Amino acid sequence: MRSADLDRRRFLVAAITLAGAGSGAFGPAGLRIGRAWAQGPLDSSTKETMVRMARLLFPHNAIGDDVYADVLDQAWASAAADASFAETLRQAEVALDGQGGTFVERDEASQVAALHAVERTAFFNPIHATVRSRFYNHPAVWEHLGYAGPSYAQGGYLNRGAGEVGDWLAEVK
Amino acid sequence: MARRYELNDASPVVVIGSGAGGATLANELAQEGIDVVCLEAGSRLTLADVENDPALMGERMGWNDPRVGAPVWLCKTVGGTTMRWSAITPRIQAHELKARTTYGALDDTTLIDWPLTLEELAPYYDKAEDKMGVTGTHGIPPSFETSCYKVLAAGGRKVGYREITSARTAINSVARDGRPGCLQIGFCHEGCKIGAKWSTLYTEIPKAEATDHFELRTNAMAQKIAHDAAGRATSVVYVDERGETHEQKARAVAVAGNVVETTRLLLSSASSLFPGGLGNSSGHVGRNYMRHVTSIIYSVMPGAVNFHKGTRQSGLIMDEQYHKPERGFAGGYFIETAGDYPESVAGTVGGWGKPVGDYLEAFNRLAGVFITGEDPPQAANRISLHPTERDRYGLPVPVLEYSMHRNSDALQRHAIQQTTAVFESIGGTDTRATRGVGPACHNMGVARMSARPDDGVTNRYGQTHDIPNLFVSDGSAFSSSGAANPTLTIVALAIRQADHIAERMRRTEL
Repeated sequence: MRSADLDRRRFLVAAITLAGAGSGAFGPAGLRIGRAWAQGPLDSSTKETMVRMARLLFPHNAIGDDVYADVLDQAWASAAADASFAETLRQAEVALDGQGGTFVERDEASQVAALHAVERTAFFNPIHATVRSRFYNHPAVWEHLGYAGPSYAQGGYLNRGAGEVGDWLAEVK
Repeated sequence: MARRYELNDASPVVVIGSGAGGATLANELAQEGIDVVCLEAGSRLTLADVENDPALMGERMGWNDPRVGAPVWLCKTVGGTTMRWSAITPRIQAHELKARTTYGALDDTTLIDWPLTLEELAPYYDKAEDKMGVTGTHGIPPSFETSCYKVLAAGGRKVGYREITSARTAINSVARDGRPGCLQIGFCHEGCKIGAKWSTLYTEIPKAEATDHFELRTNAMAQKIAHDAAGRATSVVYVDERGETHEQKARAVAVAGNVVETTRLLLSSASSLFPGGLGNSSGHVGRNYMRHVTSIIYSVMPGAVNFHKGTRQSGLIMDEQYHKPERGFAGGYFIETAGDYPESVAGTVGGWGKPVGDYLEAFNRLAGVFITGEDPPQAANRISLHPTERDRYGLPVPVLEYSMHRNSDALQRHAIQQTTAVFESIGGTDTRATRGVGPACHNMGVARMSARPDDGVTNRYGQTHDIPNLFVSDGSAFSSSGAANPTLTIVALAIRQADHIAERMRRTEL
């Protein structure tokens, strides 16, 4: 394996570990997109389960399933060199289906209960951290939340809203 | 442009690390005509390499080598953590430098007084603020008032706070020292794309190079400091990017690797003469590791804030920095603004399901605060070397052990309670705070300055008690943490240390 691959893998491991420790605001910011597809598409039943899990982890009604599916595809593509990620997803599917029947066919309350039942298992944190990072960095999610993202190319926020607080502040002062 | 030194040339001072402490010391020495070789483990980025992308910059400049224990936030790049820092720059106060005298012997701590006073340090604070362009000093206008600052200031005034300022930040509010004013880009922790924020990458380093008394070697990972039979440091062994080992002879050695790496190098340099590691006859190297009490606090405001639009940290409330034992703890803290982005908010709030999703739905109404407060030293909070695990350099993996003292716990509770009151006074709801130990961006104290050699590792100039030509030049030398974000004090101490080294050399004592 080339050293660049080794470095990337180290970084992935570090990012997952630290994200799992809850170091959000002042820690590393998670995983990145961009490795070639190398092990075929994600199994469709696994993907269906994971898309549902992703929505339950970070539910936003206005966000369509296509975005959650895209998040899974990105994670799958960038982890393609890492067989352990595929194994992690398969373990998750088996475990969730093991909580009282096929996961995707159950009602939401039952699905949430199944997730609670498995949230201390080894697969939960890596999936949680990966989905969190990719979902909250997805352009469709940024747009929905009103996060304007990178600003340097537009000259910063100095003349694009920095320092602007809604009228509400004058009313409560 | 820069000078080149031969490996067997013993005339330069070898400085290990190019961050706030190392690069400042190196430049100050070079300006005095003293030759310096600076070894930096990371590579040299340019502003073209800086992107508004947290994950990419984490790969490009973060220190991502293996560690055991609580996360730290170091950088392996020219400029060190000055690439990532928020640039909030309050001073340590006089009573904080007399921590043991002021607070008494707090149970289960190893509190000592600093072996220097604020009167001695004040002129160097002035120089550091001028060098770094701290807003509100030296005629520099205060920083731009971000939305997050306006919200915090309004709430702060409403609950009766008086010392509220958008100054005290080492980010240019106007063009100065060849660097532009801030454009409110918002990605301060990813390296400032325009160089408005003070970082040694584009200040101290090029200024040192212009003197012709300075050489920077990048991708040079120090492995060991060697010494002679008399116990004087003689050279530094390092590995370059091709994995080749070199040994640079040295007139003196200064270590500024940021606390974790400074500890690792001193301990890894153990020898038959110094079996516990260099500077460690007291047993204090790696001990008394402090991280500041921190918390990240968000609150949902009645209307839009958009705290991502602008400087990540842009102002602070200073009223709680004092020692007021009636609050139930020793020492004080600062309430500082903190903007953020969605992934980071989700990570900080933690958990999953509707509690997170619903909170993020209010993203553009969030206001944020970062707390930094006094963290007393404890003997058991320490950095040591893993007995068997080695990294790719063959160096022992650092092991970080840290737990919060009950004083820190009480301070954190108070800070969260006060910040909640600030936010809720102007209609904030659903205030959420991180409790317990956060990731350390402020690392201090593993080679502390002490009046008595058996109480610490270094003297009042950061010179090790054991080895006269071995210095510690980063936050490791802090005797106690104080409440203030540490970088300004690191820079002030480095300038002072450079004066001391230059004077000793003039007197041919070094």
